[in-house]
Amino acid sequence: MNTLTANGKKALLAKLGSRWVLVFIVLELVFFSLSTTGFLSIDTAQMILFYGTEVFLLGTAELFVIITGGIDLSVGFVMGFATVIASKLMATFVNLGLSPLESVLASSILTLLIGLLPGLMNGWLVARLKVPAFIATFSMLGITRGFSELLLAGSPAKNLPALAGNIGNGYLLFITKRGGISFFNRPEVPRGEYVWAIVPVIVVLGFVFIAVFAFILNRTKFGQHIYAIGGNKEAAERAGINVRRDLIKVYMISSLFASLAGLAYTFKYITGKADAGSGMLLNGIAAVVIGGASMNGGSGSVWRTVLGCLVIAILETGLRIMNLQTFTTYIVIGFILIMAVIVDQLFLNSKRAEG
Amino acid sequence: MPNRQAIDRRGYFEKGFGLAVARNWALCFLILMTASFSLAGPGFFDIVNFQNIVHLATGSFLLAAAETFVIITGGIDVSIGYVYGLSSVVAAKVMQLLLAAGLPIAPLILAGCLAGLLVSIIPGLVNGWLVTRFKVPSFIATMGMWGICNGLTLFFSDGFMPVMGPPDAVTKIGNGFILNIDPGKAVSFFGKPDYVADANIRFLLRLFPNSLILSILVLGVLGFVLKYTKFGRHTYAIGGSMDASRRAGINVDKHLLIVYTLSSFVAGIAGVFDVFQTGIGNYTSSGAMYELFAVAAVVIGGASLMGGKGRIFGTAIGVLLLAVLNTGLQIVGLPPFYRYIGVGVLLTMAVIIDQLFPDLF
Repeated sequence: MNTLTANGKKALLAKLGSRWVLVFIVLELVFFSLSTTGFLSIDTAQMILFYGTEVFLLGTAELFVIITGGIDLSVGFVMGFATVIASKLMATFVNLGLSPLESVLASSILTLLIGLLPGLMNGWLVARLKVPAFIATFSMLGITRGFSELLLAGSPAKNLPALAGNIGNGYLLFITKRGGISFFNRPEVPRGEYVWAIVPVIVVLGFVFIAVFAFILNRTKFGQHIYAIGGNKEAAERAGINVRRDLIKVYMISSLFASLAGLAYTFKYITGKADAGSGMLLNGIAAVVIGGASMNGGSGSVWRTVLGCLVIAILETGLRIMNLQTFTTYIVIGFILIMAVIVDQLFLNSKRAEG
Repeated sequence: MPNRQAIDRRGYFEKGFGLAVARNWALCFLILMTASFSLAGPGFFDIVNFQNIVHLATGSFLLAAAETFVIITGGIDVSIGYVYGLSSVVAAKVMQLLLAAGLPIAPLILAGCLAGLLVSIIPGLVNGWLVTRFKVPSFIATMGMWGICNGLTLFFSDGFMPVMGPPDAVTKIGNGFILNIDPGKAVSFFGKPDYVADANIRFLLRLFPNSLILSILVLGVLGFVLKYTKFGRHTYAIGGSMDASRRAGINVDKHLLIVYTLSSFVAGIAGVFDVFQTGIGNYTSSGAMYELFAVAAVVIGGASLMGGKGRIFGTAIGVLLLAVLNTGLQIVGLPPFYRYIGVGVLLTMAVIIDQLFPDLF
């Protein structure tokens, strides 16, 4: 009897251990709703997602590379590079006389295409020339940073179409108190009347991309190959996987998501800055590691990375509501990052001990 | 004579002069770059400028030397950039507080230095403890410490404000020269001759900045430890194969703990010296990337991120290469962001050259 309950306790602990991220999110929510007023509300939830969009996208970017056992240090500045390209292009297109919609669409597509280049270069260096990922992507960090500042030449891009800001700060659905519903446009209401705004557009756009690539990772042959490469590169090669080509694709995906984060930033803040993502690298990698991926490669999932991003996003928003200064966020994220690995190690060890 | 034939078939870069060039490509590149900047930019080939370059590179020298040890063991320490900021801010803060309390200058400076150095040991101990006890990958452990140190630094500097207030004497030490010569009239050590006014100090011929002495001292000691002591040989052994070193009876955990602490401590020296150079406590801004430039310098200097390889001398060359590139581009008149592109290209080149000649080193 005694052993049974002991076993049960152990099983429960193991279960909690494997899902500690969920437990942690709940703890975060409890903590913040106790220490601030009105934390558990739709508005706060949307704010968390809205301000966290870049973290979600950068986390996904980093995930693909980390699964292959690499690392991408360039995501933050590729993001900055994308904000610069997108804002410059939009301003140029508007000056050329294109309509706002055309210029926003054209510059978004062009930005994503140009944003693939750093990834192509990274992948080529890593896969073809066997440059360690750390070095190759750090070089690319410098190169994209240099080019962004070169393009900006000291002054941020001006004259962006207002449409960009409307998309970036818009919501899918508006509900008035009288039950009126309208899509995309804020309905006309008497001054001071409250309007429910549901789901920021930028979050939806971000998660569409994340869902598509989650599908690719989970359900396609290419996705399986990514895990295989991370698990054992030589075995993957011998199994007939075109490792070089797949690695290049992975680094391009990482760059693509970094550029998406850049686009989200441009739409939200209607500006382009070379250092838009300079502090984000820690968040991106932390999200993936908190999501249970191993830096040695071969493990990690989009769903768990999204949870990891959520941990960070809730933290940042919660601390901002509590009016604590930025430095607390850095300290707490640092702690959680280290804790994440230790918990995973302990859990792994207990699993091994069980056989 | 099969041997002879085999030798003859080797490529140009695998023997004689070619071998020497390939092995010391970074040094050759440094000389080449210095020569071309000297031809292209007015005032580059000048003793004042060269002293300025090494003076401004002091922090980079120390950080890169710190990183060298960790990289040789096969790890990486990305926290040093923020340990640098932390100890700089703490040292300045302590000096500021003690100055307000009315302490005399000398003990006050000493206390500030000690506080900065002591504080820098802690992140290293924690890093080493996490890496050895909990098997946390060094990148993650030190990245967590990066966040924590960054936060603590901002806490001590009240948000994004440099800490003002250390006494003027510190900058006199940090920016001083050993030899101050008024040609034909006087020579004085550690400080200007008494009759020269402060405003005229730049007309003196000043040689050997104090900062260079510090760099040479720290790099010399670390280089000696790495090359000639048992500790150094064990560092290489652990980087070569951790299992083998363990079986050979090396206390790997203890050794790694010391290496991470040393790395943090040297970063702390750099941070404290930063107060002496600038007269204020500087936090590390998020785009500074000191630690990544340090890694770059170490790799350009011939170390491998796989561990087991690297030299302090090579690292010093790597730092000089980046420093000369930086100053040279400024003097030639190119905007500073070419530096980022230049560093990126250089770094990749370093590794590709390393890959092309794997047997050389």
